[in-house]
Amino acid sequence: MELTLFLIVGAIAIVSAAMMLISENAVYSALFLILNFACIAFLFLMLHAPFLAMVQITVYAGAIMVLFLFVIMLLGAERVVPGFQPRFRWFTPIVVVLALVFLVIASIAVINGEVDTTEPRKSQPYVRVVHVLDGAGTLDFYLGDQRVAQGLAFGQASEYLQWRDGEYQLTAVEAGQDPQGATPLLDQMIALEKGKSYSLTAVGRLGEAAPQLVTAAHTLDYSDQKDGLRAVVVNALPDRLRVDLRDMDTNETLVGALRYGETREFQLSKGVRSLALYPTGSQRTPIAELPEQELEANTLVLWVFAEQRQPDNSFRDVIVNLRADATTTFGSPTHIGRLLLSNYVLPFQLVGLLLLVAMIGAIVLTHEALGPRPRLVRRLANPPAVVSQTAPTEPSK
Amino acid sequence: MGSSGVSIELYVLLSAVLFIMGTIGVLLRRNAILVFMSVELMLNAANLALVAFARQWAGGDGHLMVFFVMTVAAAEVAVGLALIVAIFRTKKSIDIDNLHLFKE
Repeated sequence: MELTLFLIVGAIAIVSAAMMLISENAVYSALFLILNFACIAFLFLMLHAPFLAMVQITVYAGAIMVLFLFVIMLLGAERVVPGFQPRFRWFTPIVVVLALVFLVIASIAVINGEVDTTEPRKSQPYVRVVHVLDGAGTLDFYLGDQRVAQGLAFGQASEYLQWRDGEYQLTAVEAGQDPQGATPLLDQMIALEKGKSYSLTAVGRLGEAAPQLVTAAHTLDYSDQKDGLRAVVVNALPDRLRVDLRDMDTNETLVGALRYGETREFQLSKGVRSLALYPTGSQRTPIAELPEQELEANTLVLWVFAEQRQPDNSFRDVIVNLRADATTTFGSPTHIGRLLLSNYVLPFQLVGLLLLVAMIGAIVLTHEALGPRPRLVRRLANPPAVVSQTAPTEPSK
Repeated sequence: MGSSGVSIELYVLLSAVLFIMGTIGVLLRRNAILVFMSVELMLNAANLALVAFARQWAGGDGHLMVFFVMTVAAAEVAVGLALIVAIFRTKKSIDIDNLHLFKE
């Protein structure tokens, strides 16, 4: 199915490109080129690049080609010379033969190359850390020897970061301390795999329950969510052996018998929900409640059941509610925007500058009074006699 | 990540074909505007290959490159068409075989 679609669209693209090359009228060529761009936009969609497909239509087929058509109409340059002049230059056969030879060589290189083009790769893993380690203040987290989070307070999560896959040592130290010198509060090996995103939750209670790391991994598969959302729960209550998470309105058990240090992932439908946490087996008094809230589709929520130390040193069980967009869909505007504003800020600014310069250049080139060309032509066209004619008139004033 | 039914090689091959057609256009057409359009075709062929490889490696960098290529192409078209307009004013023709300013 997909292959037939590709073949049809690819054939239209090639035919329209050929028609662009051989049409005598430049307006027809421009229209065929627009058709070609539309085909390429379609192929972008098939390659999971919806943002680029839209940009292709609006910028290329819209703005740029309208500019082309406008200039063709303005100059009346549909044909180079009216009459029977050849459209092509004299060395046509040589060029065509050389182009075909190059094409054959390139296809041999693509087909025989060592590049494995059969299987789509998985992207590098995403990592974030969550701090619900009771009794500890703000923490710094290090993955290997690089810092992933700085000054994280209780109940906070860091941003998602893309990390290279492999095995890492995760250490947590009190904020501002040197990871080499200080004794870490938490020290654990974790393995990161491609194609997954990880929420690393530091749980425990200093002095009593040994701090440990709960690794909640979910796949980056983005195709299954239409109007649902993914929820991940982590039980970080050292005193509760098993807990249930229930929907308070429907009394439906969403998560049953979650042990301390365990994590579970499940799907939810969107909507307004109020949730409560009960000890397993008991229905009467909830340990903690999550007030009524709207759950949006296509997001990822992380609920951590933790106990928070109150100012009077007592403990209160809470549900820490952390929300994040589900790791951004590949090729979506959000994905592109994040990349643009993180790794590619400098090129982005430079390209903006380039556009500004191009705009000024276009104005200078086409503006009659500013352009260098008309003035030069006038000087060449006007012999000195004209100058001598105007010269005597000035002193007479 | 669902597997695509079309292998990346086909996209690269299509991109190569379009690129070659663009090259032929640049070399052979006498109308300067057509030459410009052929350059756009070549840029698009390269974009297609970039997006195909971005899909293959599941990385966003290819998409960013395409984005930048599009922006640079827009700038190039603005300046190029302005040049063509300026040349047309003086030469009354945009046949590139007539554009040898220093010969006469």
